[in-house]
Amino acid sequence: QNWDMPTPYGDSTFHTQNIMQFADEVRTATDGGLDITIHSAGSLFPHSEIKGAVRNRSVPIGELFLSTLSNEDMVFGMDSQPFLATSYDDAQRLWDAQRPVITELLAEQGLMPLFSVAWPAQGLYTNGEIKTVEDLNGLRFRAYNAALEEFATLAGAAPVQVEAPDIPQAFSTGQVSAMITSPSTGVNSTAWDFVTHYSPINAWVPKNIVIVNQREFDRLDEETQTAVLEAAKAAETRGWQMSMEEAETQTAALAENGITVYEPSEELVQGLQAIGDTMLESWQQEASDSARAVLEAYRN
Amino acid sequence: MSDPMIAVVLLSLLIGLLALGVWVAVSLTLVGLAGLVLFSNAPSGLVLASTFWGHSHSWALTALPLFILMGEILLRSRMSDDMFTGLVPWLSRAPGRLLHVNVFGCAIFAAVSGSSAATAATIGRMSVPELTRRGYPENLILGTLAGSATLGLLIPPSIILIVYGVATEQSIARLFIAGVLPGIMLIVLFAGYVAVRAWMNPDLIPAIDQSFSFRQKIVASRRLIPVALLIGGVIGSIYAGLASPTDAAALGVVLATGLAFASGSFSWRLFGAAVMSATRTSCMIALILLGAAFLSVSMGFTGLPRNLAAWISDMNLSATALLMALTVFFVVLGCFLDGISVIVLTTSIIMPMVSAVGIDPLWFGIYLVIVVEMSQITPPVGFNLFVIQGLTGIDILRIAKAAFPFFLLLLLGVVLIWVFPQIVTFLPGLMSG
Amino acid sequence: MGHLFQKLYSICGALAGGLILCICLLISAQIVLNGVGRFAPGAFPSTIPSYGDFSGFMLAGATFLALAHTLRAGGHIRVNLVTARMPLRAQVVVEAAVLLISAALAGYLTWFMIDLTLESLHYNDLSTGIVPVPLWIPQSVATFGMALFLIAILHTLADLVRAGRPVLTTPDEV
Ligand code: NA
Ligand code: NA
Repeated sequence: QNWDMPTPYGDSTFHTQNIMQFADEVRTATDGGLDITIHSAGSLFPHSEIKGAVRNRSVPIGELFLSTLSNEDMVFGMDSQPFLATSYDDAQRLWDAQRPVITELLAEQGLMPLFSVAWPAQGLYTNGEIKTVEDLNGLRFRAYNAALEEFATLAGAAPVQVEAPDIPQAFSTGQVSAMITSPSTGVNSTAWDFVTHYSPINAWVPKNIVIVNQREFDRLDEETQTAVLEAAKAAETRGWQMSMEEAETQTAALAENGITVYEPSEELVQGLQAIGDTMLESWQQEASDSARAVLEAYRN
Repeated sequence: MSDPMIAVVLLSLLIGLLALGVWVAVSLTLVGLAGLVLFSNAPSGLVLASTFWGHSHSWALTALPLFILMGEILLRSRMSDDMFTGLVPWLSRAPGRLLHVNVFGCAIFAAVSGSSAATAATIGRMSVPELTRRGYPENLILGTLAGSATLGLLIPPSIILIVYGVATEQSIARLFIAGVLPGIMLIVLFAGYVAVRAWMNPDLIPAIDQSFSFRQKIVASRRLIPVALLIGGVIGSIYAGLASPTDAAALGVVLATGLAFASGSFSWRLFGAAVMSATRTSCMIALILLGAAFLSVSMGFTGLPRNLAAWISDMNLSATALLMALTVFFVVLGCFLDGISVIVLTTSIIMPMVSAVGIDPLWFGIYLVIVVEMSQITPPVGFNLFVIQGLTGIDILRIAKAAFPFFLLLLLGVVLIWVFPQIVTFLPGLMSG
Repeated sequence: MGHLFQKLYSICGALAGGLILCICLLISAQIVLNGVGRFAPGAFPSTIPSYGDFSGFMLAGATFLALAHTLRAGGHIRVNLVTARMPLRAQVVVEAAVLLISAALAGYLTWFMIDLTLESLHYNDLSTGIVPVPLWIPQSVATFGMALFLIAILHTLADLVRAGRPVLTTPDEV
């Protein structure tokens, strides 16, 4: 049997490489009985269409950036809530808390999560060192979702909407002067061409998720199902490990290429955490019951 | 059925449908559908609807109708006539005369727009009627336009370089810088070709009887001011960081409208006609893009381009032989798929073999763009041909024939960057601190 | 009846043109805000939320709403080299076949776009940007445009049968 699997990111992204290993393991475990073909870099469906394509069984399986679903339910976006979960341990605990609720929400659409892997924690890219939150004042800050827009405003910066491919041009023309993103994205877009400083402020640890259509999954024989689930489990463990290694090597790569990497000052961390707390308060007022329950579970 | 057989079946179907006079967009969609139904097990109707919807609302595409509208407004105002009249004294001695407006107009516009279709539509809207009226030969008008408009892909900003950069994780900033010198090289090749043709056959190009004193040239140049303001405003807004390239298209429409009214002989009635004409042209192009996107998705499901690329990969060629094989492969594929599809469908297989033989991925990106530029002007599926047929009503095969010398010039460009890779790597090399 | 449809194509074509102008205004407003934000930071909100998403949806609307109007105006391109050399009767037969094939495809597409829209409505799918837009709204506009395209193709087929010769004009050569 053949499965086509659309993924949004390119072949050299560690997420894609992890998924390729996942496909290999499934192929080996089933003796070629289930052959998953990976269509990377959005070559089959654009990122925003992947969930719908899996749901309507255009494809049986696919990968997406979890918090793109946050408009559907705020549970999906919790890993992109600034300064809620800032380390891999936090992120793992948050995922443990999210997982049952997300499984339930996706089940309503006939979908099932297979595994989820974190990106490296998000750091701050600027020209010049940022010592306190006040230094962010007046900067033109890249925002690509509602949470970031709120964050920028609270920090006194001006949010600017810039799509990922436009980042280098936006920096070089002064359209933006600061952004928060992972060290991987920083290296892939050769951030040293347009910024001088990077600080691993660990703003949040977002995740990708691999989902499968329940009916397609049920159609597999039991042995194959077990093989898929086992390979998924292994992929999750391996993926988080890869992510941690990625965080180290890519931060080192930033430094190697001439970016000044500095630890955030105590003052900056406190200021950012304060903004995070304010945001969490307003978040709680809008959050669905399930999202609030996840927050409870995460905090205990 | 074996892969080559599938390819032959689908290609015959495409050619047959096009020859019957089925609309280009419908033909592409039908071939995609045939591929899905016959050679894959994907649910064709759902994939078709998702693809049509998913590709119809992309942000990158919004610049297209706006640039087309800008061209329509310029055509209907005095500005396009003014521009040509203003340029006459300056180009009266140059071999090829006003034909260079196509080459340089496209080059300048390429610095604003990221696509070759928008470039062809905007410049062609003005230059084709003006040049035809002045008695220039049709095949050179169409050829220079179709060929030069492909510069929209190579001269930054460029949608296709963004697609390549995202798919292969190359720095987009570096790719953009790398495209500058090859872009200039192609401009020189195109302008040189026009000059050589004119010099070999002086009767080809309508004469300009008058000779102009320097004073007259300056006076005539006053007519260039509105167009210069427009170009300056649009490019300036990008480089001042006020607008992304897509945003700039909207600014272009606003500025063109303002300047058209300011230069006189423009009315709201003409504005309305410009809007409706732009609506039809962009609808036509968008529908073809949707059909092409669906064909590309269908090819993704059947795995045909992948398998063909893997077949080349298995031959274990040397760098030179690999590039020659890939060039043939891309030219053939480019006849039937649009450029972006060619890249997204094959990079997964091709990038590993390219890095295996030690080819610089940055250089390869520029190489790929030039090859994709060639695909824009090869029939039956070539977007510049479609756009120009939409503008002029002239059949795509006639346009393709006129554009063939430019296809060869692009091929020469590929050879040049292979022999002198510094053309590509020099500027990005300066960037690394 | 035919006149009524013709009117409908024109109205939808004009709506499509209006949408393109709206895209233009929306993006221009954003550029003005960018400029204002540069000189007087904080005086005005600096972004129009999700203006990219809205532009995209309006573009989709413009494309689909204009399909029928563009068809009737001869705006969709095709290769005429072969058919133009056929005798008139053959031309009519081929044109009828072309219209039937196209109608079949448009019908197929309309059917599945209705399916897609109903599914978005059923699951209450939202856009992923800052402003959540229920996707069924722009999707129903697109679906309506596709259905009108189907009608326009059948309308053209009826005209062909009545006139006994191909009726679609090709735009004049310049
Ligand atoms: Na360009
Ligand atoms: Na082509």
